[in-house]
Amino acid sequence: MVQINLPENSKVQKGNYYEDKTGSKNIRKVNIYRWDPSTEEKPRLDTYEVDMDNCPSKVLDILNKIKNEIDSSLTYRRSCSHGVCGSCAMNMDGKNGLACTTPHAEIDGDINIYPLPHLKVKKDLIGDLSGLYKQYESIEPWLKTNTKVETTEIIQSKKDRAKLDGAYECIMCACCSTSCPSYWWNGDKFLGPAVLLQAYRWIVDSRDDERKERLKKVADELKLYRCHTIMNCTNACPKGLNPAKAIAELKKMLATS
Amino acid sequence: MDNNNPLSPHIQIYRWHISSLVSISHRITGIINIAAITVICFWIASLLLGETSYEFTKIFLNSIFGKFVILGLTWSFSFQILSEIRHLIMDLGYGFELKITKITGLIVIIGSFVLTVLIYLLGKQII
Repeated sequence: MVQINLPENSKVQKGNYYEDKTGSKNIRKVNIYRWDPSTEEKPRLDTYEVDMDNCPSKVLDILNKIKNEIDSSLTYRRSCSHGVCGSCAMNMDGKNGLACTTPHAEIDGDINIYPLPHLKVKKDLIGDLSGLYKQYESIEPWLKTNTKVETTEIIQSKKDRAKLDGAYECIMCACCSTSCPSYWWNGDKFLGPAVLLQAYRWIVDSRDDERKERLKKVADELKLYRCHTIMNCTNACPKGLNPAKAIAELKKMLATS
Repeated sequence: MDNNNPLSPHIQIYRWHISSLVSISHRITGIINIAAITVICFWIASLLLGETSYEFTKIFLNSIFGKFVILGLTWSFSFQILSEIRHLIMDLGYGFELKITKITGLIVIIGSFVLTVLIYLLGKQII
């Protein structure tokens, strides 16, 4: 259901203000969403003054700097810091992306950092993605062969392999799914761009034998057709993939099969 | 336990871009158009009641508010038609690259106003 307003316990309050202590002249204000599960308090927006003269170029560097030098209680996920693992997906300046590949120089004014949208918050910038992982499991993202013997190599032509380009690179960071208004309103049923892109990846794989069953499974008013080409997903993808196009291809396959 | 956790902000913080604006406007104009068609049906039905009801609508449509409504509906229908064509092309699997969605989105937004002016001029028999 479409619920524009946040529930009462999720309304963001004004938070603490951390003044700069380094005396730097090159200061930026960074507003960060905070919520601590150990207290009864509502979420708040803390503001940090960060010395930009001694800060590397990415948003993740700002977060690390705050955690190391200003407020060690700040919680967020990060791992590889090279845009490969997808852990540091969050909403920066109103757009989803990976903190480790988003340069802060591209953001005008104060930097606003929120967790991925419309998720149950676990703590600070960490959202609960278990619903998405369950949906990912539901499309059975592994190779299914009926005829071939498992010990022999399944040969794929270069042309068939090329069909997977733009789909296999997905790192499941959930930037796309959590940017999608349809997924916000119907996230319990609509599979969302990330999972549909993966469904597409297995449907077009020439080595997979269950193309028809996979298509049939995804052909559902709510699972697939809630996509209204809003394009937030493609706009958000930090790997430059195009989930919206994959969903359109799925719809096309169903219309022509 | 999880159900008491707060929901992270969504539409309140997410930045708009051309495609999302076109998409939401498509919905809003669609609802307006359905309402408009219903009103037009009632208007035509009311003509059966004779001259007085015809005079009444004529006065209304010639008032400033009436003209605003007519122009607004012309824009709403223009927008819906152009956006629908964009959707049709997308349903064929074309125009999903970010740059192209931006361009087609802009064409829809600007085109809807151009079309409104064109229809207005046509109605005034200026062209």
